Amino acid sequence: MSMDFGSFLIQLLSGLSRGMMLFLLSAGLSLIFGVMNILNFAHATLWLLGGYITFSLYTALATQFEPSLLLLVPAVLGSTAILFVVGWLLERFLIRRMYGRELPEQLLLTFALILIIGDLIKMIWGVQNRRIVLPIEAWPVFDSFINPYLFVIIGSGAVVATFLWWFLARTRIGKIVRAAVYSRDMVSALGIRIPTIYAMVFALGVAIAGFSAGVFLPIIPIGLGLDMDLIIQCFAVVVIGGFGSIAGTLVASLLVGIVYSFSVLIWPDGALAVIFVILVAVLIWRPYGLFGTEMRS
Amino acid sequence: MSQKSLLSASLLAAARDRLDISIPVLLVLAVLFVLLPLIPGEFILVVGTEILILGLFALSFNLIHGFMGQISFGHAAFFGLGAYTTALILQPLTAAGGLGTITFLLAILAAVPVSALGALVVGYFCVRLTGIYFAMLSMAFGELIFYVVFSWYSFTKGDDGIQGLMPPPLLKSPVVYYYFTFVVVALAAALLWRITRSPFGYTLRLLRDNPARTAFLGIDVRRVMLVNFVLAGSFAGLAGALWGPFARSVSPTLLGWAQSGVPVFMSLIGGAGYFAGPLVGSIVYTGLNSYVTRFTIYWPLTIGLVILAMVLFLPGGLLSVVDGWLKAKRRGEP
Repeated sequence: MSMDFGSFLIQLLSGLSRGMMLFLLSAGLSLIFGVMNILNFAHATLWLLGGYITFSLYTALATQFEPSLLLLVPAVLGSTAILFVVGWLLERFLIRRMYGRELPEQLLLTFALILIIGDLIKMIWGVQNRRIVLPIEAWPVFDSFINPYLFVIIGSGAVVATFLWWFLARTRIGKIVRAAVYSRDMVSALGIRIPTIYAMVFALGVAIAGFSAGVFLPIIPIGLGLDMDLIIQCFAVVVIGGFGSIAGTLVASLLVGIVYSFSVLIWPDGALAVIFVILVAVLIWRPYGLFGTEMRS
Repeated sequence: MSQKSLLSASLLAAARDRLDISIPVLLVLAVLFVLLPLIPGEFILVVGTEILILGLFALSFNLIHGFMGQISFGHAAFFGLGAYTTALILQPLTAAGGLGTITFLLAILAAVPVSALGALVVGYFCVRLTGIYFAMLSMAFGELIFYVVFSWYSFTKGDDGIQGLMPPPLLKSPVVYYYFTFVVVALAAALLWRITRSPFGYTLRLLRDNPARTAFLGIDVRRVMLVNFVLAGSFAGLAGALWGPFARSVSPTLLGWAQSGVPVFMSLIGGAGYFAGPLVGSIVYTGLNSYVTRFTIYWPLTIGLVILAMVLFLPGGLLSVVDGWLKAKRRGEP
């Protein structure tokens, strides 16, 4: 199919922003898995919860003030903070009991969370899709229109990614987290409170998920079921990139985001299938992902 | 000796023989299933049939999970392939009005080789991996097959599914179809039991507990895993074949990953460590599903809380409670 440069650019940008969101979601998933060896099936459902909370905060604020992009900032930050607390409590009361359990049991517990949180969302927000409409003019570019908000998504994604890198590479706590990936016992022997570190990592991962949902709310309506689609894409991203590799996760997220964005044009129903073809190919050719190394057992 | 103590005596004898408690459990369940239609009303037959079909689906899954130690998140693909095979054969015949019993049985059986072939292709790649990667790859293949069925409208009718399926006149009444399902599932379960007790079944357990040692013994680990994967897929296909005429239609959700979660839940609720575990899990899961949905729209919340409680407090499944109780009792008696 022929495609002019304007629509090519639009697909590329929306693919990049989608990739950014996938990255923020998968980075949390991958971090939690790397540190605690817990595969959190409910990660995208918590993302969805963050989206709904952002929606409610924004709607409440919009009754008091003029709706604007600026109003989204406190809503997103508020939702991020709430999700941090939710993550902390989940780790403290449920996830903590699953360390050292078998993989199927961990998956089952987090799957139970998907069902429970999904129904709680249904009770509170109902079943209709929710979205935020920002008063933003589209920019005309090469005979097409580009929503400038896409740049906000890409930019804020880049900021959070940089923060995550800085946190893990440069801060004391980040170094402890990375050390815990290698040897939990040694870190614990040095007198560091592992349980607190674990709770913090889980809460941080969930908070970043909440943040990305809030940032994404002005361009996609959220609704129940979206979490299922997303978690599968996250698994695809994490596996393609390699577990535990933040750089791999970034590359795979952008790849999946952009591939998805272009396949939707060509084969709307099968866009996810294209991602699975990539996933199957990577798993067969390089089971540990593009950037991954063989995992510790 | 009262009937109750006779029963527990035979249970104890079975336990003493170091047999799986599955045999007495299966016998008790078989009697209950035969007697089930005594309860008046058609609803109980629908629930019973669903328990049996999904129970067979879960039993086939547990061949991979409980006996081989891997977890497949794409098992519904084979259930769905079987369901679609039978549905695609039956639909034109049912519409023409000339569906005979023999043709119907052949259509059911035709699902098995199709699912087996699907499992052979998927399994060929999956058995190269273990643990989390096995789970992911099986899920990816499952989703891939789902999207093929979902978007191949000219062949599968896509999202609309295939409607208007019927058992032949002889099996049409709910009670007859229930007993028909019971016989098929009982035969399949007996075959599965035989497989798990064969040298092949013990090789699977060996492989689950110590893959390295299994390989040292000169056993082709991948081949054993592949054969098991194909067997599990075939039985899932048989279960799927029974589904269409029962539910009167098939749709792509039968292959989706939510459907793949069903046998996982059932195995863990009943006890993946026991042959009969998935069947017990199907009774709890399907039973709850059928009755809870009458009272509340919050079925996911209910099953979510049940699963949460199971994982936290009964990680071995319901049968482990029965097993533990029997062992404690045996120790108490000299």
